[in-house]
Amino acid sequence: MRTMVVLASLALATPAAAQSRLFAPADDAPAISFRPFVTVGSERFAASQTFKAVFGTDTTAEWGGGLDVVFGHGRVFAEVDASRLTKSLVGDRVFVNAGQVFNMGIPLRASIKPFDASVGVRFNRSPRIVPYLGVGFASYHYTEQSDFADASENVDTTKVGPMVRGGAEVRVSRWLGVALDLQYTSITGILGNGGASKEFGESDLGGFAAGVKFVVGR
Amino acid sequence: MRLSRAGFTFILCALAGSALILRGQSLGPTRPLDIQDIGLPAVEQHIPLSVDAHAAGTTESLRRLAAARDTGRVGNSGRVYTPGRVIARFRDEIGMPDRRRVARLASDTADILPPAPNADFDVIRIDPAEDAEAVASDLAGRAEVVYAQAAYREHAALVPNDPLYPPDPARNYPGQWNLKMIDLERAWDIQPLAGSTVTVAVVDTGMAFRNATLTVNIPAFTNMGVRYPALGAQTIPYSAAPQLVGGGAAGRIVAPFDAISNGVNPPLDFDGHGTHVAGTIGQLTNDNVDVAGVAYNVKLMPVKVLGSFWDVLFGSAPFEGGSDDDVARGIRYAADNGAKIINMSLGSSGPANCGTNPRQDGCSPVIEDAMRYAVGKGVFIAVAGGNEFEDVDPQFGRNPTSVIAEIASRIQGAVSVAAVDPTKNRAFYSSTGSYIELAAPGGNSRLGRPGFVFQQTFDFTVTDTFDPTIVPPAQFRAPRFDVMAIIGYTGTSMATPHVSGVAAMVMQQGITTPAAIEAALEKSAIDLGAAGKDDSFGFGLVDARNALFGLGLSK
Repeated sequence: MRTMVVLASLALATPAAAQSRLFAPADDAPAISFRPFVTVGSERFAASQTFKAVFGTDTTAEWGGGLDVVFGHGRVFAEVDASRLTKSLVGDRVFVNAGQVFNMGIPLRASIKPFDASVGVRFNRSPRIVPYLGVGFASYHYTEQSDFADASENVDTTKVGPMVRGGAEVRVSRWLGVALDLQYTSITGILGNGGASKEFGESDLGGFAAGVKFVVGR
Repeated sequence: MRLSRAGFTFILCALAGSALILRGQSLGPTRPLDIQDIGLPAVEQHIPLSVDAHAAGTTESLRRLAAARDTGRVGNSGRVYTPGRVIARFRDEIGMPDRRRVARLASDTADILPPAPNADFDVIRIDPAEDAEAVASDLAGRAEVVYAQAAYREHAALVPNDPLYPPDPARNYPGQWNLKMIDLERAWDIQPLAGSTVTVAVVDTGMAFRNATLTVNIPAFTNMGVRYPALGAQTIPYSAAPQLVGGGAAGRIVAPFDAISNGVNPPLDFDGHGTHVAGTIGQLTNDNVDVAGVAYNVKLMPVKVLGSFWDVLFGSAPFEGGSDDDVARGIRYAADNGAKIINMSLGSSGPANCGTNPRQDGCSPVIEDAMRYAVGKGVFIAVAGGNEFEDVDPQFGRNPTSVIAEIASRIQGAVSVAAVDPTKNRAFYSSTGSYIELAAPGGNSRLGRPGFVFQQTFDFTVTDTFDPTIVPPAQFRAPRFDVMAIIGYTGTSMATPHVSGVAAMVMQQGITTPAAIEAALEKSAIDLGAAGKDDSFGFGLVDARNALFGLGLSK
């Protein structure tokens, strides 16, 4: 598990005098709040060499959404969300020898559909910026299909692994927050037993994701 | 020693220092052959000729190139479809305006193409970026639609139409079991171009690559205890093997070279071995004629380094077999003239420890240097592993080491090749040792006709008139090299060109360095015998499809 990077600050150039009118003080938070959200962001896969070899990149854009439930007057959260890659992962099968990659020209498509659940704490001393930390589990539904493949050579599987997340939510109004959300997920059992990932010794399908979350609710 | 081919048996040509002397013949410098550049096409026995359609640059090749580049899209179902197109059958009572309306409900960009003949369905054009399977699924759920589907790609599971590719039990003919064994049909599906940009040098007894008329003087000689009279000046017809060169398609044969005469003579095959080996590598395929080859679109470079019986009588080689210097020059010539694969179905026995003591007698550093030179220029080399498993060499003992194969095992980018029979057992003759790296079909003469590897080469009943087991001495006559037949051979000589052909396809597919080609062939091989690398099969049986398929992320 890697160390999570926590955002230090996210300041808005808003006059201080206006803040008292825009944001609710911490002790003003409700006992429980249901807050739907949407996210946009990108993920950098831990199996960097494998993804670069097959797709030419180890980073992909994604979008998603979910529900964030805040308890204890804003101090605890539980969250579920699902995300999708903004476009399919399309590349070619390869051969790897001594670290050198040869493109075999056989199209390969992969998809990853993450679903995760996490709980954590919110440090809501400031009414305007609320850092948070959480842990949970992520489920990745992974498919891999190649031209000329037999059914047994394609992959369609789901694996679960741990995740940590953190970030900071900036309240831009009483009912709207914007958060910079960072998370690291580790999904083992899909990569590393064959294919290019085995050649590179990479067994983690997860990775580091960063996104902007638009939260509706207090 | 004169080797008999009765019963189609082939034994690997012996090389090198142990010069083979024909009885009644004296060694001397090679003579230029009197060759007129005229000649008729070969007679193919019982087999109709067809038009070549596979050489690089032909319409057929260009069509296949375009087809290979247009690879479609893999849908969520795992099947490949043509983007921008959905097939739907509407109920008969649904008129065209309603069909368009329904199609638009499934996709904003949908447009029904004009009706095509022989179709009770419609083809709907959509934005190529759209998921055709999703659109089809949407349509299929509507009451107006009988069925809808993406335009899935179908491709030939390429089973060549060459009539002697399948077995013919009525004639006890096994077909080309050897090609099926290495999963070539699925490999051809992946790469229908079959090595079209790659040149394979066949360093061997030459090749039947051109038509010619030879004027030679045949002296008296003795063979197998029979004294044959002089025939004097003879005019001998010589023809290219149609299944190698087809109709003389431009570019099939590249830079032919006779290392024995240092280029004075063309590398004409007077034995049949080199032509047979070349056939396994690149016999014209799917042309409705005869048999198939592995990489049927490769360019072939005939490099002659081994003399044959007739070479000696004609004066075009000093002895049967070859010598290390000629072999080394042949390898270097091939590397310097554009070959990317070298096939060496040749070898001889020697010490087992040339790797640790290359300066001892019996080793061939001149060939090792040449092979390293070639690999350094990006050339992959396949070498026969040897046919001496049951032999007892007076100096090197039972199952002696094949020197050149042992060299190959120490070079990343060169491989030594053992032979398996049709049951995937080690062929009885196939030499064993730690230097064996791969196995390929080489056949087994003890199984009778079903055990042989068949390709087009000379009909030896009209070439080997010097052999009393084939032609009665009373009927001795001048040979003719213009009659071709489908002949069965066995040996690691036959196994090796399978590897060379697959290597050419692997290179065409994108693996461009010799060391990586070797790694790809070894990692994709089907393990036989003891688990892992072993002395009989090396890393296992070469598998063309696995080698071309490469690696995905997780499989």
